[in-house]
Amino acid sequence: CTKDFEDINTNPNAPINAQPSLLLRQVIYDFGEQMSYEGFAAGDLLSQYRTALDFNLFGRHDLKSPQLGGNPWPIFYKNLRDNQIIINQSQNTLAFKVYEGPALILKAYLAAGLTDLFGDVPYSEAFNGVNGTVTPKYDLQEDIYLNPNGILDNLNKGIEAINNYSGVQTLEGDLLFNGDLNGWVKFANSLKIKALMRISDKMDVSAELQAIFDEGNYISSNAENAVFDFTNSAPNSFRMARLRIGDFNNYVLSETMEEILTNYNDTRIGFFFRPFGNSTNGEFNGLLNGVDATSTSITLADYSLSGTAFREDTSVLDANFSTAWETSFFLAEAAQKGLITANAQNLYETGVAQAFEYWQTDLPANYLTGTAAFNAAGTTPLEQIITQKWIGNVINGYEGWTEFRRTGFPVLKTLQASLNNDLIPVRMPYPAEEAALNAANYDQAAAATNNNSINVPVWWAE
Amino acid sequence: QTTISGTVMSKTDGLPIPYATIQASNGENTISDDDGNFSISATTETTLTISSIGFKTQSILIGNKKNITILLEDDTTNLDEVVVTALGLERESKELGYAVQTISSDKLTEVKTVNFLDNLAGKFAGVTISQGATGVGSSSKITIRGEASFSNNNPLFVVDGIPINNNTVFNNTSEAAAGFQEIDFGNGAMEVNADDIENVSVLKGPSAAALYGTRAANGVIVITTKDGSKSKGLGISINTSVFIDTAFRLPDFQNSYGQGNSGQFEYVDGLGGGTNDNITYSWGPRLDAGIFIPQFDSPVFLPDGSVVRGGDTSLYSGNAITPTLFKSNPDNLKDFYETGVTTINNISIGDNFDKGNYRLSFTDLRSESIIPGVNLDRQTVSAKLKFEPTTKTTVTSSISYVNSSSDNRPSNGYGSENVNYSLVAWGPRNLDINNLKAYWQPGLEDRQQYSFNYTFFDNPYFILYENRNSFNRDRVFGNVALKQQFGEHFSATIRTGMDYSSETRKLRRAFSSNRFKNGGYAEHDVVYREVNTDFLLNYNQTFGDFSFDISAGGNRFDQFASTKQTQTVNLAQPGIFNLNNAASPLEVFQYEANKRINSLYGLAKFGYKDYLFLDITGRNDWSSALATPFSVDGTSFFYPSVSTSFVVSNAFNLPEVISFAKLRASVAQVGNDTNPYQTTGAFVSQTPVNGQPTLSDQSFISNANLKPESTTSFETGFDFRFFKDRIRLDYTYYNATTKDQIISLPIPVSSGYNQQVVNGGEVNSEGVEIILGLTPIKTNNFSWNTTFNFATNKSTIKSLPQNDGRLTLAYSRIYDSANQTVWFQVEEGGEIGDIYGTGYQKDANGNFLITDAGRYIADNTLRKIGNYNPDFTLGFSNNFNYKNWNLGFLFDWRQGGEIVSRTRALGNVGGQLAETEFRPEGIIPQGVNVNTGLPNTVAVTAESYYRQFYDRNHEENNVYDASYLKLRQLSIGYDLDLKPGFLGLKEGASANFSIIGNNLFVITENPHFDPEQLAVQGNGFVSGVEDMSYATTRSIGFKASFNF
Repeated sequence: CTKDFEDINTNPNAPINAQPSLLLRQVIYDFGEQMSYEGFAAGDLLSQYRTALDFNLFGRHDLKSPQLGGNPWPIFYKNLRDNQIIINQSQNTLAFKVYEGPALILKAYLAAGLTDLFGDVPYSEAFNGVNGTVTPKYDLQEDIYLNPNGILDNLNKGIEAINNYSGVQTLEGDLLFNGDLNGWVKFANSLKIKALMRISDKMDVSAELQAIFDEGNYISSNAENAVFDFTNSAPNSFRMARLRIGDFNNYVLSETMEEILTNYNDTRIGFFFRPFGNSTNGEFNGLLNGVDATSTSITLADYSLSGTAFREDTSVLDANFSTAWETSFFLAEAAQKGLITANAQNLYETGVAQAFEYWQTDLPANYLTGTAAFNAAGTTPLEQIITQKWIGNVINGYEGWTEFRRTGFPVLKTLQASLNNDLIPVRMPYPAEEAALNAANYDQAAAATNNNSINVPVWWAE
Repeated sequence: QTTISGTVMSKTDGLPIPYATIQASNGENTISDDDGNFSISATTETTLTISSIGFKTQSILIGNKKNITILLEDDTTNLDEVVVTALGLERESKELGYAVQTISSDKLTEVKTVNFLDNLAGKFAGVTISQGATGVGSSSKITIRGEASFSNNNPLFVVDGIPINNNTVFNNTSEAAAGFQEIDFGNGAMEVNADDIENVSVLKGPSAAALYGTRAANGVIVITTKDGSKSKGLGISINTSVFIDTAFRLPDFQNSYGQGNSGQFEYVDGLGGGTNDNITYSWGPRLDAGIFIPQFDSPVFLPDGSVVRGGDTSLYSGNAITPTLFKSNPDNLKDFYETGVTTINNISIGDNFDKGNYRLSFTDLRSESIIPGVNLDRQTVSAKLKFEPTTKTTVTSSISYVNSSSDNRPSNGYGSENVNYSLVAWGPRNLDINNLKAYWQPGLEDRQQYSFNYTFFDNPYFILYENRNSFNRDRVFGNVALKQQFGEHFSATIRTGMDYSSETRKLRRAFSSNRFKNGGYAEHDVVYREVNTDFLLNYNQTFGDFSFDISAGGNRFDQFASTKQTQTVNLAQPGIFNLNNAASPLEVFQYEANKRINSLYGLAKFGYKDYLFLDITGRNDWSSALATPFSVDGTSFFYPSVSTSFVVSNAFNLPEVISFAKLRASVAQVGNDTNPYQTTGAFVSQTPVNGQPTLSDQSFISNANLKPESTTSFETGFDFRFFKDRIRLDYTYYNATTKDQIISLPIPVSSGYNQQVVNGGEVNSEGVEIILGLTPIKTNNFSWNTTFNFATNKSTIKSLPQNDGRLTLAYSRIYDSANQTVWFQVEEGGEIGDIYGTGYQKDANGNFLITDAGRYIADNTLRKIGNYNPDFTLGFSNNFNYKNWNLGFLFDWRQGGEIVSRTRALGNVGGQLAETEFRPEGIIPQGVNVNTGLPNTVAVTAESYYRQFYDRNHEENNVYDASYLKLRQLSIGYDLDLKPGFLGLKEGASANFSIIGNNLFVITENPHFDPEQLAVQGNGFVSGVEDMSYATTRSIGFKASFNF
């Protein structure tokens, strides 16, 4: 009576095993696509590049009420899971060995993004429910950065795996470097620079930074960036191109961004935003972040919408994992702080030029001699470096806000109608789902953050 | 074998009974002639069973009689007497140790509904029907004795002994505010044709259903179709009915304030170019106050002398819109709904001859919905044949072919594809619906719609006439059976049946749609096939006072389901809906599933005299869904049942007032397997990148060691009748426990997965069903019959697989926002149907806490905000007959339960509903200051107050009591006397005319919608949420039927 049952209950729609190339393409694309949208709809509000006119509880710093974006937690874990399957395959099957290095580097990249936002998170027991526990414990951020199998360790192991690789199989499904393993090594070194700078207030990272800088094998031109292109039409366009016009029109230029770009006479404003509808001479106008829509009457035509790159022509837009200018600015900061021996101003000016190139805008001839000059009056080189990096990080997840949390730059504005007692949040809250489904572990983590408060800094910012 | 002759007469008046059916235990059968006479060959051991409409069935042992006279007793409740039970076995209801309720076609289809399930509402104790939210053609959901399983509560549908599918297959959707929304194309059982039904039995509990096996764990609806056995010679029957539908309940709107925000509004381009013209809140200026404001339908005078509308934004630039009067349109939604018309025409012919009978029937249903452009057409051809080539051999067959189609099925749920989104939640109160009917901007047909807003909303007429979701479905279901009698006591039956359907759906989206700015198109093919083949051996024998009847059989069930949606979300040429016209890569979503269940079963029936009966059944199922690709271990499961019936009134001489008394009890177990492919992990295709495929691990952790769920039920009851059956009381108590539930247990995504398939959890459901029938008056000319169907059910969670926390069974969500989600969760000690959501902080006394700024404080911890199940349901039907006239009505009372309303939340946030009409300078939110504990004295603007109070992020303030009392049906009929010979008519010719009404009024708490609602989320229905539903309908109709 059970004849053929094995065949009948074998799923014809989905394979039991997956090629690592298909998983790798999925992890890179899914994370890049989702975090770019997160960046636009939620991260950019926290970073104060843009502001939402309505449906904006999150934008008013009630971070526990995400509405449009604002919930990056599952994006990290789903992709850490698929990436872990690649790592397992690469370590168990000789033919898949070539995937080990890239997947370890991606794991470090994803883990850093996750812990930078939330602080202590499930990591060592996490994203492995099939073989391990379904209720993973939380690891300290410090351990995630520094322990074996942590961020820095995996970056080193990833580079080592690539350097030791002598097989003939090529890396497929690689949207970032099209199978070029050297690109992955540069990516890993740029991520190491970023990770070391992130924790540089907690420990001495100068020797390691100096070694990487001296070796010079990091992303140093835009051609080497870890990015992939969006297309203009579905299904691979930037998500804002596919949503309703109303979802796009809900976001306008932030007053913070407007003031900073205007102060620099920064021509990138025309790439990021468009002149407001009622403007007569192509002017830009920003709105103070965090309006209360129930007590404010706003004419959209009085404020600048986002540029065409974010809707009509998204083929000029990238999903950004790591770039030359970001690395240049981190190195500039390291030099300025004396962590490495290098010319901070040169690195700064290289970063600015690379960032203009990245955003497809000609660098004005007098840009670096005006208010954006390294030593411009009324500011500090450090503020200039961080602020320029902040400008470049539009839609790059929550990066601009994360660096603000570490450095205090640029100075963000108090919201028009804050739901967080006029404080700017310094961490993302754990989602309610964790409290319900991973209660015992969550309770410990919540206790360490004053009941999951968004006003308790993460370890590296303490 | 000798020939016995006899006469059938009425015991009451001694008149002969023509056309009575005489069935002999040796397999012979015949019918009596015009004078009540018959003859049949039999032996001394043969038992004759004589039945006729309107009389009690009687059995008689031949013995040594050669000529017998049978006196049949009048029977007011004769249709309750012989019921169809599991495996199509006809049983006398007195023998049954469990509750079965049967209703004949005339009671069931007095008022015909387009969805067959709606015919059952209010007529069976313990059967709950909920209607879909998208009008004619929507799915209805049925549950029997409430919900006891966490995963599957669907009863099995059986037509003439063969299961048919009652699936609802949704299209592929996206939770984000992009792509296609959910569309309900109807449930499988809606296509059962009311005109072909003889009767419907509901097997409510596991005891009654155990023999049907794993799929019957939630009860069985057993449908028997009409045959030709009642025809006296060639009979022709014609039924025709016409129903006029109107919108039943519409939201109660405010009509004092128009579009805008903070009291200000000016239309420029509907995109934010004007003051607050990007969103259609009705927090704008006063209406009907003599104010002139530029609006979307105000004229724009162009320099060349031509005139366009303000909303024709592609046709002008920089020209001013001439302000027009800002006035209310109280009836804009009422004007939107049309008058629906449904016609159902049926013709059937039947004949009864010496070697069998046949019936052929054709039914044509055409329904135009009250929703513009929405319709449903359905043609049904059915045939039922019975052929007896010899006295020992019977061949029967019953086959239906159904073609259903619709030009448009409207979209469900929250979002711009549902017209209620732009008409109810976000339709400004100054909107004149008539000015939206010309929905293209002139010269830009197929390319640019004309609407009152271009930011979030589509013109509703544009949605319904251009963005259509059509379908065409062919379906065949039926069976062929052969029964062979071997000698006196032994028979064998073999039967095979199939339900096959194939459906093509086309989803068209025009250019300029909010979710498809360059148009879109999808084809969705759905195929379903189920084949059941079974055999049954039967042996019966009588020894003196004892009778035995033993059956053994087996069944193979094979199921194949496939669905394939091919879509493009960009078209090249406007107005051409074809996959060739795709301007971006085609996306394909494909799924197919196979399942097989093999079964063996047996049934032993014992009788002692005519008052004590005992049934024992056993069934073993082997289900492929419990196998893995590597092993068939654990796929077999067995379950037994025992039931007994004691007819007290046959055993003892009871006082004469008691005309019938029966006690019954049963214990049964039934197993329930699962869907295919839950036992192994797999990788799932995701969005392709530059045309290259991607894979991701599936979101749930599979379980290779799944066990079947098992339900153990105890049931007891009695059936008492008094005063010659004038009072009929049937009472049932049941208590069922479902264990080892197969659950997709939610786990934290930090594990990498969302769910884990496990066995676990225990639910106890307990309930009472009371059916009270009364015949207060019965004279020659006048009779009054009334029936009460009362039921309660409570399903309590005894344990969960995880010992802390709650289990999510379902949710209903706005877009993909976890924060705007109504959760259906259970916890230990809780009940199935519990609704969870968020709200605002309160103090210990239940007062809202208010900040110094006069604001509520969000509290995002989930709390229980209701339960969607009623405390009890009561159907109350009445029938009055006076000479040729009859009057019937049916009330349906549902007490208790809650429903979360999105119309209330969004309509009030949008300032559209009557609740927001009161707008003083400031409103002081009721509550206490969070710091001082003193009553709040800080006022906020009316707009701020309402938007906060009804905020969709917090469901607690948007809950209604779902109780209602409804006049579901009313009918007045007249039977025309047709004299034999008149116009050549033969005896038995009849004509009947009736006027009928459906959904005539309702009393309920909420002022905005019909509380009988289902919402749709992803691939399933959810109860307890009203999610931007369309109006239900009130029908008034006329029906005529002729038999000649």
